[in-house]
Amino acid sequence: MSPLLRGPAESGGATPGAEAPERFPGFDVMEEVERWDAVTAGVVLSRLGPAPRLEFFTITEEAIGRALFDQLLDQHDDPRVPVFEMVDARLAAGETDGWRYADLPEDADAFRRSFAALDVHAGDAFATTYADLDWHDRNDLMQVIQQRGSEDWYGLRADRVWSLWTRYACTAFYSHPWAWNEIGFGGPAYPRGYKNLGIDAREPWEVADRSDIDPVGRGDEVEYARRRHAEARTRQLGQADPKGPHGVGQELADRDR
Amino acid sequence: MTGLGSVRRRNASAWLLPNDGQRADHRLRRDMRRYADDDEVDIVIVGLGAGGSVLLQRLARSGWRAVGIDAGPFWDPDADWVSDEAGSHHLYWTDPRVIDGEDPVALGSNNSGRGVGGSMVHFAGYVPRFHPSDFSTYSADGVGADWPLGYAELAPYYRAIEQELPVAGQRWPWGDPHGYPHSPHPVSGNGMVLQRGALELGIETRVGPVAITNGRFGNRPHCIYRGFCLQGCKVNAKASPLITHIPDALAHGAEVRPDAMVSAVEVDDDTGLATGVRYFSGGVERRQRARIVAVCGYAIETPRLLLNSATRRWKHGLANDEDQVGRYVMVQGAPQAAGRFDEEIRMYKAPPPEVTSEEFYETDPTKPYQRGYSIQTVSPLPITWAEHVAAQGHWGSVLREYMRDYVHWATIGALCEYLPRPDNRVTLDEETDRYGLPVARFSYSLCDNDRHLLKAARDKQTAILEAAGATEVITIDRNAHLVGGARMSADAKTGVVDRDLRTWAISNLYVVDGSVLPTQGSANPALTIMALAARAADRMIQGQRAGTPRRAGAEQPT
Repeated sequence: MSPLLRGPAESGGATPGAEAPERFPGFDVMEEVERWDAVTAGVVLSRLGPAPRLEFFTITEEAIGRALFDQLLDQHDDPRVPVFEMVDARLAAGETDGWRYADLPEDADAFRRSFAALDVHAGDAFATTYADLDWHDRNDLMQVIQQRGSEDWYGLRADRVWSLWTRYACTAFYSHPWAWNEIGFGGPAYPRGYKNLGIDAREPWEVADRSDIDPVGRGDEVEYARRRHAEARTRQLGQADPKGPHGVGQELADRDR
Repeated sequence: MTGLGSVRRRNASAWLLPNDGQRADHRLRRDMRRYADDDEVDIVIVGLGAGGSVLLQRLARSGWRAVGIDAGPFWDPDADWVSDEAGSHHLYWTDPRVIDGEDPVALGSNNSGRGVGGSMVHFAGYVPRFHPSDFSTYSADGVGADWPLGYAELAPYYRAIEQELPVAGQRWPWGDPHGYPHSPHPVSGNGMVLQRGALELGIETRVGPVAITNGRFGNRPHCIYRGFCLQGCKVNAKASPLITHIPDALAHGAEVRPDAMVSAVEVDDDTGLATGVRYFSGGVERRQRARIVAVCGYAIETPRLLLNSATRRWKHGLANDEDQVGRYVMVQGAPQAAGRFDEEIRMYKAPPPEVTSEEFYETDPTKPYQRGYSIQTVSPLPITWAEHVAAQGHWGSVLREYMRDYVHWATIGALCEYLPRPDNRVTLDEETDRYGLPVARFSYSLCDNDRHLLKAARDKQTAILEAAGATEVITIDRNAHLVGGARMSADAKTGVVDRDLRTWAISNLYVVDGSVLPTQGSANPALTIMALAARAADRMIQGQRAGTPRRAGAEQPT
């Protein structure tokens, strides 16, 4: 197979940008591409090709969006799974999930308003832009937004916005073969199918999970995040003033037009 | 059990598909009969999902001049479907819709199909029957509603459709005990976990019932355990009307008109009768005249179309003088629980629908709630699995870490019988779609009984996974399926259609889809929708001999 189809890591299946040790050494789902039907192979291969040029987001929104999706998916360095580009393409094509919450505008507008709100929040809390925050400060800010739950966040309901961001981000990231390598997922399976069903049953090409890593050891991360959140509160980060249903987010969105 | 020969004599779809490795019946489609817009056909059917497709096939077989119109494509599984989660987005109804209420229900991929075959193209494949108790929950338990027909009237149609799909599963001990035409499929790691936990707790489970071939059926091959049932079956092993009823309809002179969005049912205000439909095709608005119109757009689009078809006579929407259209829409509460095991489960292998328990289906007088829930295997692919993880509040590095652990998790789901409520309804929003038609606004709020059931089902699933040896269990509250919105009733005041699925208000307008269900049980609705459509077709065919179809509904169930 052409090396272009593989993940860029030397060891085959490793996912770029991952900080944790790989679980399925050498597993590369793209090794199987010749056993997929042509239509499916085309769809998956297109995700490894050059990303289409950005169409939907403005230059200001690009800086915010790249930082946001990096944070949500823990992507630190290039090469990345091109989540931002994939979301941009979806929004440009109007490819929604087929519904929106009554208290949130249509997805495209909701993204613009929420991105504007991220900058305002960063300004209120850190006197800088969202994109200019360092990784940990941005992490704190994310934690604050998530923990607002069903409360208002700059004129938007926080949990609705969080749901929108994570749905688009996860759909993009976990559609990418690099992410499949990371989680040991076999990818497309037609016309090949599966022969070895059952517990601890693998196909010859599936790679066993490494047993020498504590599987849920990163629960510490949650504790860490909570601690950081408590610290952030003491720095008054969480007290940025939401401006009600016609808050700053809306004002900025209006001004942008 | 009836043999294959008799199935083939009444529905030859599986034998009309090609046997050369191609999955679509290109020749049948090319040679399909085509009607002119100003031909007055016997029936125009709006929406070719579980209800509309069965109706089309049955009526075409009886010599009716029938046209089926669908907003989406006439799918070719080879060319249009992929073995990939994100790449299957086009299978869902993703035109704009607004969701509202205290407990808004996500639509799209979860419950809304598009194109010929409807949402059965991407349904998991579970096809349980309703229980006899489902037809009289109000009399028995004081909740829900009584149906204007009984289980016994539907039973022959259940049997017929089970043979036509065909259904694979173990002999079924719950409800009205019955067997299935195909033997049960082998069970994967995910199914074994449910079996193991249930056995530990003394809960009965059975393998099935799934509309997936276990052995050759006509020109449909055996399942290859690929696991992408929810992305459209490229194998032609999982049933959808696209392959189980449409081929036979075409062979008997029906026309399928895809990519055509019906904008209104046309009614003559003077005669009070439907005269046909208006629809957009290729950007042009056209009309199809018909003697009878059947709306089969499912629980959101059917009410929307009736409401959007208002005339001077029907100011509030067709058949809506009693303010019943769009009300009593139901979803099933579908909490899912996932357990972490040291072993590798690899739940993406094999079809998600495998093992079921209906032990908690019926009302248990010792519980603080009425009616019940069922438990079934589900097995989310990575993107859906990320939803489970994100629902725990995880994101960033923690999300990635949980996701890396994917092969160790098994997932089961429940279906809770949420009760019909008048304010859980579809109305028209101010927003319009690209056709300029007001979009549906769907409002949903749970009642106390619903919340009790949700908790009971969540707790039971957690107990099963723990009994199976899970070291960690996570749960997510979801919803599944959509029924109601144009319910059948014993009188014209409390519903939209009679027991033959004819609207009370307009004698040549029918609703033949899941929106007619007065209650939903905790069974997946596809089989019941198909059985109701097959019965409605029989009643229409009987009625044709008597001239105008005779009004039913007043007579007692036999």
